[in-house]
Amino acid sequence: MSRLRDLYGSSQLHLLAVIVTMSFALYGAFRIAQGSDALNTFIWLGGAIVAHDLISFPLYSGLNLVAHRSLVGPARGPATERSVPLINHVRVPAILSAFALATWFPLILRLSADDYHLKSGLSADPYLGRWLLLTGSLFLGSALIYAARLRRAGHADAEGERAG
Amino acid sequence: MSESPPGPFRAEFWRSPLRGPWLASILGSALLPLIVICAVTGFLSQAAYNPGLGDNSQLPGGGLGVDIYFFSWPTTPSWIYAFTQGLHVISGVAAIPILLAKLWSAMPKLFEWPPVRSVAHSLERASLAFLVGGSIFVFFTGLLNIQLYYPWSFSFVPAHYYGAFVFLGALALHVTLKLPVVRRAFRDQGVVRPLRDDVAHTRAEPAEHDSTAPVNPAPATMSRRVMLGTVAAGSAGLGVMAAGQVVGGPLRGLALLAPRGQKLGDGPNDFQVNKTARAAGIQPAGTGPDWRLALRGSRNAELAREELLAMPLQTHDLTIGCVEGWSTTQSWTGVRLKDLAELAGAPEGADVEVQSLQHGGGFSHAILSSGQIADDRSLLALRVNGVDLSLDHGFPARVIVPGAPGVHCTKWVSSMTFRHA
Repeated sequence: MSRLRDLYGSSQLHLLAVIVTMSFALYGAFRIAQGSDALNTFIWLGGAIVAHDLISFPLYSGLNLVAHRSLVGPARGPATERSVPLINHVRVPAILSAFALATWFPLILRLSADDYHLKSGLSADPYLGRWLLLTGSLFLGSALIYAARLRRAGHADAEGERAG
Repeated sequence: MSESPPGPFRAEFWRSPLRGPWLASILGSALLPLIVICAVTGFLSQAAYNPGLGDNSQLPGGGLGVDIYFFSWPTTPSWIYAFTQGLHVISGVAAIPILLAKLWSAMPKLFEWPPVRSVAHSLERASLAFLVGGSIFVFFTGLLNIQLYYPWSFSFVPAHYYGAFVFLGALALHVTLKLPVVRRAFRDQGVVRPLRDDVAHTRAEPAEHDSTAPVNPAPATMSRRVMLGTVAAGSAGLGVMAAGQVVGGPLRGLALLAPRGQKLGDGPNDFQVNKTARAAGIQPAGTGPDWRLALRGSRNAELAREELLAMPLQTHDLTIGCVEGWSTTQSWTGVRLKDLAELAGAPEGADVEVQSLQHGGGFSHAILSSGQIADDRSLLALRVNGVDLSLDHGFPARVIVPGAPGVHCTKWVSSMTFRHA
C-alpha cells in the first residue's frame, strides 16, 4: 500500500478510478482513430483546448482588464458616482451578449448562410440584427438600472446632508 | 522544487477573489445535471434510429460494436423523440454559460507548477486535457451542427458520439476525484451562504495548497451572487431560446437566435423544413404524374398517387421531431403503413426499407421496425393540413411515424421494401 503510494503518488482507489474512467475515454479516442478523418477529429479536439485556453480566455480577460482599468480607479468625480460603481453595469450585459454570441455565432456571423438557406429555406439575415438588438436592450436595461441607482444614491446623500 | 516561470505559472498572477473551491463546486453542481440529461438523451437519440436494423446506425460499425440498444424505439407517446431530442439540445445550449464559467474558475490549474508531481498527478492532468478538449469539442460540434455550419472535414455523428466518450470518461474521473473538495467547500462555506455577501463583503476563499483560491486576491469588484446570477440568466435565456423551437407554435417567437425561430409563412405547408427539395436534389420530373410508389414484398405493386388516394385514408396530428432540436406538429393524411404492408403481402413481423427519390446523402433511406409499421398512426402521408404536401415536405408522398426521428420520416418516397426482420 505505502509502496504504491510512493511509486504512484496517490491511493489505490485513485488508480482504480483512473483505470475505469480512462478506459471509456480511450475507447472513444480509439473509435475516432478507427474512423475516417481521424486526424482532423483529433486536431479539432486539441484545437478546442487551444481555442479556449490560449485564445478565448486571454482575449476576454484582456477586455475585462481594459474595462477594469478605465472604470475602476482611484476615487474620482462626485461622491454619488463613486458610491455606485459603473463597472458591472457594463460587464453584466457584455457577458450576456457574449454568451449569446458564443452560442449562436455561426448564424449571427452568417458563417453558414448559404447552406442554412439551401437546407431550411430560411434566411440567416435576421440573426446579426437580432443579436445587436438583444445586446442593445441588455445595455439599455443595465443603464436604466444604473441611472435609478445613481438617483437613489443622490437622494440618500442629499438627505444625509440635510440631516447633518 | 524548481522556480516556476513568470506570469500565469506563478500563483500570485491569479488575482480574482471569486475563484476558489466553493465557486467551482457550485458551478459544477449546476452543470452536472445538465450534462447528465444531455448525455442520456444523446444516447437515446442513437437508440431512436433503431440502429440494429440494417444500416440505420449512423456510426461506422454500428456504434459500440456490441448492440447495447436492446429495445425497439416506441411510437407512444407520439412526441417522444421531439421530447428527448428537445431536451438534448436545450440542456446542451443551457450548459454553455455554466461550462464557460466553470472553465474560467479552473483556469489557474492549466498553469500549475511544477507541471508534473507524480504518476497520479500526471494522469490526472492528462485526463483534464480530455475533459477540457472533450467538453468544448462535444458541446460546440453540437452547436455548430444545429446551425448547419461544418468547418471540419470529419463526419459529425461519429465525432460527436465518440467525442462524448472521451468527455464523459474524463468527467467521471473529475467528479470522483473532486467529490471530497465539493463536500468540504459546502461544509465549510455552506451551499448558498457565499451568495449573501454583497460586493463590499466579498472575500476570497482561503488559499490552501492545490486550490484555485488566490494567494494574492484583488479587492472584489463583483459579488459572487452577481457573477452567478449573470451565468444563470445566460443559461436560462439560451435555454428558453432552444425551448422555443421545440415547443413551437406561438412560443417559436422566443427562439430569438435559435436556428428554427423564424416562421416560414401562414399557409398549410409553411412549417419548418429539415431539407428542401432543392437541397436534396429532387428533380420535378421525378415527382410528376409518372411517379409510382414501388411496393415490394411477397407481392410487388406499383401505385400511382391517385391509387394511393383511393385507399382508405387516415388523418392524425403527429409531431416531426428533428435531430437538430426543433419540432413541429401538423395534421397528416395518408395511407396506413400497415395497409401497404398487407398489400405487399409482407410476412409477419417484417420491417420495411423506405427509399427516397433523393440520391446519396444521409437519410435518403431508412428502415422502420415492425412495431413502427404496426402503429395505426404510422402513415405514408399524401396531404398535410387538408392540402397536398408541398415539394419541400415530400410530395408526392412521405412517411410519418409517431415518435420516430424526423430523418426517419422519409420524404419523396420512391419505394418500400418489406422484408423479414
